[in-house]
Amino acid sequence: MNVVVTPAMLGQVIISGILSGALYAMVALGLGLIFGVMRVINIAHGPLLMLGSYTTYFLYAHFGINPLLTVPIAMAVLFVVGVLLQRGLVFRVVDAPELSSLLLTFGISIMLVNLAQLAFTSDLRAVEYITGSWLVGGLAFSKPRMIAFVFAAAVTALSFLVLKFTRLGKAIRATSQSREVAMVCGVDVGRIHMLTFGFASALAAAGGALLAVIVAIQPEMGGVWTFKSFLVIVLGGAGNYPGALVGGLLLGLVEQVASLFLTTQLSEVVAYVLLVLVLLVRPSGLLGGRQT
Amino acid sequence: MTSKAPTALAVALALAVGGVMPATAQGPIRIGASLSLTGTYAKLGKNQHEGYQLCEKEVNGKGGLLGRKVQFVVYDDQSMPATAVRLYEKLITEDMVDAIMGPYSSPVTEAAVNVTEKYKKVMVAPLAATTSIFKKGRKYIFMVISPAEVYLEGLVDMAAKRGLKTVAVVNEDTLFSKAAASGAVELAKKKGMQVVFTEAYPKGNTDFSALLTKIKAANPDVIAAATYFDDAVALTRQMKELNVNPKMYGVTVGGDLPEFYDTLKQNAEYIYGATQWEHTLPYAGNQEWFESYKKEFAHDPSYHSAAGYAGCLVYAEAAKRANSLDADKVREQLLKLEMRTIFGDYKVDADGFQVAHKMVTFQWQKEKKVTVWPDDLSKGKPLFPTPAWTGR
Amino acid sequence: MAAAILSVLAALAAYPVVGTGYGVRSVQQIFMWIALAGSWNLISGLTGYVSFGHVAFFGAGAYAGAILVASAGWPWPLAALAGGAAAVVLAVVIGYPCLRLKGPYFAIAMLGLNEVLRALVSYFEGLTGGGNGLSLPTLDASVPIYYVMGVLAVVVTAMSWLIVTSRFGLRLMTIREDEVAAEAMGIDTFHHKLAALLLSAVGPGVAGALMARDQGYIEPISVFPLAITVTMIVMALFGGKGTVFGPVLGAAALFVAQEIVWARYPYVHPLLFGAIIVGVVLLMPRGVLGLLQQRYRLPRTI
Repeated sequence: MNVVVTPAMLGQVIISGILSGALYAMVALGLGLIFGVMRVINIAHGPLLMLGSYTTYFLYAHFGINPLLTVPIAMAVLFVVGVLLQRGLVFRVVDAPELSSLLLTFGISIMLVNLAQLAFTSDLRAVEYITGSWLVGGLAFSKPRMIAFVFAAAVTALSFLVLKFTRLGKAIRATSQSREVAMVCGVDVGRIHMLTFGFASALAAAGGALLAVIVAIQPEMGGVWTFKSFLVIVLGGAGNYPGALVGGLLLGLVEQVASLFLTTQLSEVVAYVLLVLVLLVRPSGLLGGRQT
Repeated sequence: MTSKAPTALAVALALAVGGVMPATAQGPIRIGASLSLTGTYAKLGKNQHEGYQLCEKEVNGKGGLLGRKVQFVVYDDQSMPATAVRLYEKLITEDMVDAIMGPYSSPVTEAAVNVTEKYKKVMVAPLAATTSIFKKGRKYIFMVISPAEVYLEGLVDMAAKRGLKTVAVVNEDTLFSKAAASGAVELAKKKGMQVVFTEAYPKGNTDFSALLTKIKAANPDVIAAATYFDDAVALTRQMKELNVNPKMYGVTVGGDLPEFYDTLKQNAEYIYGATQWEHTLPYAGNQEWFESYKKEFAHDPSYHSAAGYAGCLVYAEAAKRANSLDADKVREQLLKLEMRTIFGDYKVDADGFQVAHKMVTFQWQKEKKVTVWPDDLSKGKPLFPTPAWTGR
Repeated sequence: MAAAILSVLAALAAYPVVGTGYGVRSVQQIFMWIALAGSWNLISGLTGYVSFGHVAFFGAGAYAGAILVASAGWPWPLAALAGGAAAVVLAVVIGYPCLRLKGPYFAIAMLGLNEVLRALVSYFEGLTGGGNGLSLPTLDASVPIYYVMGVLAVVVTAMSWLIVTSRFGLRLMTIREDEVAAEAMGIDTFHHKLAALLLSAVGPGVAGALMARDQGYIEPISVFPLAITVTMIVMALFGGKGTVFGPVLGAAALFVAQEIVWARYPYVHPLLFGAIIVGVVLLMPRGVLGLLQQRYRLPRTI
């Protein structure tokens, strides 16, 4: 509104878009892995991210641990939570109709949010660690966002390496391509399901831990992340793991550029319209799906 | 079984809704209110509740009202207007309370007032700051705090006096914040300032990068933000991240909470905020009230506590003067009443709209809120202009 | 059974004569939840396509109805029908792209829908009042609204019964059990799913418009909360998804429990809702009514 968009402004929002895009990609990769391997959309993915944020906050506020050091701790904690959820509840609906798994994880997500509310109250929490920015020319590179970007990019790259080259990664990919063939080849599918769920929860936790240094934390912060992660997967193509990277960056850019040219409020609408359009025109994702 | 179940439920329900006996005339005066004890506004609603409790204690300590004790009947509306509507209906038609006090927040009040008007009940609404609620021809609702439109008045006034020319106004897209923003825009224009940018953002928004990029390009002297707490914090943090440097930057609600400084630490310095009340203001008995509140509830009061307390006292005073709880008689007194409490002045126009109470503007200076506007209530001078983020 | 239903209906029809304002409003709320849970059941219980955003239809109806009353001066019963129509239009817009696909696409698209509608309603403030909300002229119509809401609950339940006992309903349930097989049998799954979605949008749309009229004031945040979706899902699941009277049972039981018991434990109540969903999915997928059907060999079509 009443501001002419200049190239410098565009440059600034493109930076913001790329910085948040890496976080989107990392968190969405987790959701995508669970979907690929188990055919389950984990509605509780966002709330697991929220638990990651609180882990960081808790360690920082009570033990003074450097927030960046808490990233691996939060990942480990949520890995265990993920494994327990899978072993305790989710495994029972893996082969059930979609309705059951969607509703089950929806129920879990409501419980997690409200447990967090009881444990931490709905007061805003913040990890005031690094603020401000590096100024390069007319452009500002936010320090906390840059750090989060570097971490997210590293974790995502590492995840791809694990998927590509380790035995576990190969077993995960095999299971997501065809569970029957994987079983025939001697893969313990139950164990892969459990580890994938834990691994995916750890990715959500990493997102939460990094987000903690950027935005304020509260129990309901995770909700939008389930939806955004799914959007990233649709953009990149379900089952296509590198697609998450493309989808994440694309979503980050679209949101920021839409906020610039339209308003912050309408950027949500633009992202949604994008989802509907992709589903209409190219439901297998921009890169095409299922080619791991 | 299935055929009987609905009947049983209907009977259970009928018993449940019909089971409360109306109070006898000799008992205490029961004042009903629904408050946001859980949900979005839980924290502020709780403070308001404590204000009511303190008022109840004080009135009873002085021998009660019209020779009877006063007793609050409070329900939780989960910060949802729909729930509040049902609860006020319950208070009036089931619990048969003798009087009504307002809920927390403008949207909830706007919904609940339809019920109180329907049953012709006086409602002093101590925490509804939106002008439109009181300008719809309603007869029995009374305002206590200053309207949202004047929240940013102090900031704009100080800026104009210092010769600043341009202002950007942003707001959360909710009833209260919109009114505060439009008030700021009107006032800035009246003072000859140029409004170079306005935009509303959704409730719960966390990413202000694009919005701030546009503000930075518009390069205003003043940023006036009509906020609640979380967006005030996020906006401030991201202003630093994007190196946006106005000469003055002010927020509305949330900037006055101690948590604002606790969260932002030294980044909160120089920020202006507006509040309905501070315990340091020179109203008679203010400091003592502050101390007794802290003793009672083991934490500091906010202006919500003070407004709740004062609103309840205003109602009690009007009832005393009317010597009756009759809605029309109390209404007549409330329209005439001029009263000063620890919260400041009360006087309403013919619509029940508040005209006497004053907002104050403060600035965070060395971890303290220093009242800098208006002159007759101020304790210090504003630190002006705000230095750039890189030069602090 | 028919006699029992009729006597309950007669008792409810007479209730406003003796009930207090609060009592009438509470029973009216039960009617609303029956209509909402029953409508959710039509798409999700019958076809297995989970809607996480049915509140969007409710909110769309509320705004359509409120705008027509406030700006165009329509009488509220007509505006309520228009609210239902608006919800159907929304259902076409969202169902057309998302229901052509199998899998969870529909569920997640619905999950994001209410946020988007909230943003749009806020943005088009000339029409909707934006964040200021929309005030309707004062009108005391709680008793007429009670009856209209009651009729809505009956209509939604009757519609469920007609569908469950029809070939159309059988086809929907075939889709739920095995969509590929349904296609192989020559069922046009896309159009069946779409039809179910449209039917399930009408009730929430009308209910939303009635709620707006009853409350007299609406604003985006209170009209599109996730909590409404959660509540209707819990009610339908608890009573028994895919059944005709399950949502009725669930809505009445949980609403009464909520008003009488849980209102005293406000913090635990949403947690309990989550636990009910988890418990029902794992332990009694067909809900309370499903258990009763099994134990007492009741007909499938209740």
